[in-house]
Amino acid sequence: MKTYINREFIYNLRNTILYIVFFLSIPLQGQISTGNDTVKIKEVVIERKRSKSDPAGYRTTILDSSVLVNYNNRNLSEMISENTNIFIKTYGTGGTATPAFRGTGASHTLIDWNGVSLNSPMLGQSDLSLIPVGLIDDVQISFGGASMLLNDGGIGGTINLETKPEWKKETIISLNSGIGSFGQFTEFMKVKTGNYKFQTVTKGYFQTSENNFRYLNSEIGSDPIWQTRTNNQVKQRGFVQELYFNNSNKITSARIWYQGTDRNLPASLLTEPNSGEKQFDESLRTMLNYDTFKGNSSFSFTGSWMLTRLNYFNRLASIDSRNLSEVLTLKAAFENSLGKNIKLKIVVDEQSGVVNSNNYDHKTTRNKTSLTASVDRKKGRLGATLLLREILDKNSLLIPDFSTGIQFRILYEKEYYLKANISRNSKVPSMNDLFWVPGGNPGLKNEYAFIYEISYEMNQIISDALILKYDLSVFRYNIKDMIQWHPGEYSYWTADNIQNVNSSGAETSIAMDYVFNNLKASLKAGYSFTRAIAGGSKSENDIYGRKQLMYMPENEANTSFRIGYKNIYSLWAANFVGARYITVDNSQYLPGYFVNNLSLGVKLQLKGSFSDLNFGIDNLFNIDYQSIAYYPLPGRAYFLKILVQFIK
Amino acid sequence: MKNLVKIAILLFIVSSCTKTPDTQNINFSFGGGVFVINEGNFRGGNGSLSFYSYDSSKIFNDLFNSVNGRPLGDVPNSMAIKGDKAYIVVNNSGKIEIIDQATLQSKATISGLISPRNISFVNDYKAYISSLYSDSVTIINLTDNSISGYINLRRTSESIATAGNKVFISNWTSGKEIMVINSANDRVVDSIEVGVEPESMAFDKYGMLWVLCNGGYARQNYAELIAINTATNSIVKTFTFPTKEASPSCLKTDGTGQTLYYIDNGIRQMDINSSDLPNAPFILQESGQYFYKIGINPVNNDVFVTDAVDFVQQGNLLLYTGGGSLISKLKAGIIPGSMCFKIRINS
Repeated sequence: MKTYINREFIYNLRNTILYIVFFLSIPLQGQISTGNDTVKIKEVVIERKRSKSDPAGYRTTILDSSVLVNYNNRNLSEMISENTNIFIKTYGTGGTATPAFRGTGASHTLIDWNGVSLNSPMLGQSDLSLIPVGLIDDVQISFGGASMLLNDGGIGGTINLETKPEWKKETIISLNSGIGSFGQFTEFMKVKTGNYKFQTVTKGYFQTSENNFRYLNSEIGSDPIWQTRTNNQVKQRGFVQELYFNNSNKITSARIWYQGTDRNLPASLLTEPNSGEKQFDESLRTMLNYDTFKGNSSFSFTGSWMLTRLNYFNRLASIDSRNLSEVLTLKAAFENSLGKNIKLKIVVDEQSGVVNSNNYDHKTTRNKTSLTASVDRKKGRLGATLLLREILDKNSLLIPDFSTGIQFRILYEKEYYLKANISRNSKVPSMNDLFWVPGGNPGLKNEYAFIYEISYEMNQIISDALILKYDLSVFRYNIKDMIQWHPGEYSYWTADNIQNVNSSGAETSIAMDYVFNNLKASLKAGYSFTRAIAGGSKSENDIYGRKQLMYMPENEANTSFRIGYKNIYSLWAANFVGARYITVDNSQYLPGYFVNNLSLGVKLQLKGSFSDLNFGIDNLFNIDYQSIAYYPLPGRAYFLKILVQFIK
Repeated sequence: MKNLVKIAILLFIVSSCTKTPDTQNINFSFGGGVFVINEGNFRGGNGSLSFYSYDSSKIFNDLFNSVNGRPLGDVPNSMAIKGDKAYIVVNNSGKIEIIDQATLQSKATISGLISPRNISFVNDYKAYISSLYSDSVTIINLTDNSISGYINLRRTSESIATAGNKVFISNWTSGKEIMVINSANDRVVDSIEVGVEPESMAFDKYGMLWVLCNGGYARQNYAELIAINTATNSIVKTFTFPTKEASPSCLKTDGTGQTLYYIDNGIRQMDINSSDLPNAPFILQESGQYFYKIGINPVNNDVFVTDAVDFVQQGNLLLYTGGGSLISKLKAGIIPGSMCFKIRINS
């Protein structure tokens, strides 16, 4: 693991990429000043109001249908890693995949479904490999303080999965089938029908994969040998039903989402390969929304009940862990304009959780209530936001959280913004941190962080054919009382508020869309540099100072290029993840990797129907890489997808 | 564009680089000393082998990887030497790495074991391997390095102590028995009920088997130190620890078999004829230290202690005189655990 030469190389590479990013931005600024001022009016979609209206001073990113359409047969972790700077730590295809924003941990990232957290109340985190992109309409990513506008606890950020109606009198039936290397088979179905008053959307899917890829094992003998990955099968199925009712200024919706996943868990290259580890994840999620608008006021109510089952078996270790959790969320929001430029929003959020686990002493409940008030003011080129939140947890009030943001529009006519925000965000411990037997610690304090962010954003129509977006952010997180599991007084590990972490860095992205006659091209690129260091444990043997956190890459970059001419298109997507330390003293690390995926497709439009045939190659250059040490990832893989859509 | 192409090529090179063995430790001392098994983190694959050399008073780390160009495995647990070979039991890799005890070069690997923990040579041709998860003890054929059979104990196993044809095996996890096996026919011949969770065992100078029972993983019961007459398989002495909070572990004897040592809030020593448990440690565990395992030099009674610190960073090997004075503190691998003396040191 000690390829030290890469350290210097990657440092130089980081500087090179930073240089190029800034270099690119200079001539583009020049173009902006002479650009076409034509304003394109976007299509207006009437939908339930959300906090997407971007309060002043915060950064959010939307991955819309134009991105999601390329990942219909994939899971969320693959799309996020190829299109954002969020690092995904994955055990491989079908294996657990968890996100990390800006040097924070998986439990500091909220995964929301239409504004309601999907994070397991037990683990405090979500597995992105269990979320098929085909079930989602778009993804809203809120970085740092922006996360507080949606929910509490997302210290790193929030990934909000949105499903939404399109008020059209139209019926669409879609079938999307895929077949790929290593026994992969996917089948997605979507039926959408309705009119301007009522919409129903039904989605169903089934996917299975053997994941029996070949890999070179150089860890178990003096000579590397080719082996086939075993005990790595995944089988997943689920459906979503959405109903939307639009009655003038009132929108009511009901959603239900079921899914179940059986997966065998492969062993590390260094461990006994036939341990018989397997996991069953099942969830049933329901949601009711009611939104009403009147004059300058709006009111929304969301009720959600979610049931999550996670059963883990390890034949070798005789472990049969059965866990069932239920969460009821009731959320009410009232928004009103105070005068011409000021908006006031009040949100009350109540969450009740119940966990029934053979790893807890008894059935365990938990209640958390939060009250959030925010004011957003935009006038002229200036904007400001102030948010205050009070959380009642375990019948005690936490120290209030806050966030304040300001923004400055550099020119009246242009979308060039300078933004800054400062936040204090708290996260209550997960149920496992508190109650797991052995080692749970009911006396844990909540984690909290001070978050500082400054960003520059531009969105410019250069010409009728070319649109450019660019952003650059610098950030700093001071996370206090971070919860870690460590050896306790006896021979098992226990949870404790053990250390502080400081994470700082920069991230930048650029996107260009070009449309000319029958040619469409889109180029996106992003780069992030993150220095996440433990700021001193309470141990006297503290060696953490100035050391990068384990499995936290300093450098990450992604790029994609999509080009289409008439009915033929191609997509190239690449993801670079720099070296990641795998020991706390930074003495060992995994080398970085650069994975390229390429696909080609052809679309056919016939009367009343549409079809799309897509062939792709993942890991084009067949590189040998690992996201987690000793868990090999697949080499070159092929897939073929066929989408058939009937429209009436 | 040219720059972008360069970057793409460079990134591809980065992603393609391979691991190379670290050779800086290969020239370790070939004299006497003690091997330290660094367990590493569970599933972290960062277990390693260290060697403390009496000749140079230095520690040499990551030796297995340095010599053999590959990691030792996941959670190596123990090591034993027989002749010119050393046997390293790698728990979560389910294997035994057999190396040359002088050069450390890999000689063979026995795989397919279920969560192996400790090894004991019952004669020149046969060894028993205990198991944390399996109900059976595995029999190893030392001649061809293969698994030659199993002895079904109907319970898991941990510590192994061999006296002639009698092999005593403790049932540690949730257990309270010592199983007795006749190594001539590999049959269970007796069982002895002791305290809760017999964790470690050692023979004294009279051939008495001392068993340290830690009282359960969460100390639900009082820990006990028990002496067993190996001729009659009967308990002759029982010392009960004064509080449930006591968490003794890692019982050892010195080279003469006169003194017992164990970890309990520091290192304690006790004469085998003592009528009471020691009421204070003779080596104190300081704040920030986590005494994990001990080893007693069979010749000069030097006390080696592994300090796991916080179980994630590199731990320390602490060397004390028999009187408890600190001689040296040396950086070992992650979670330094059990030790294996290479030769008897004359000093």
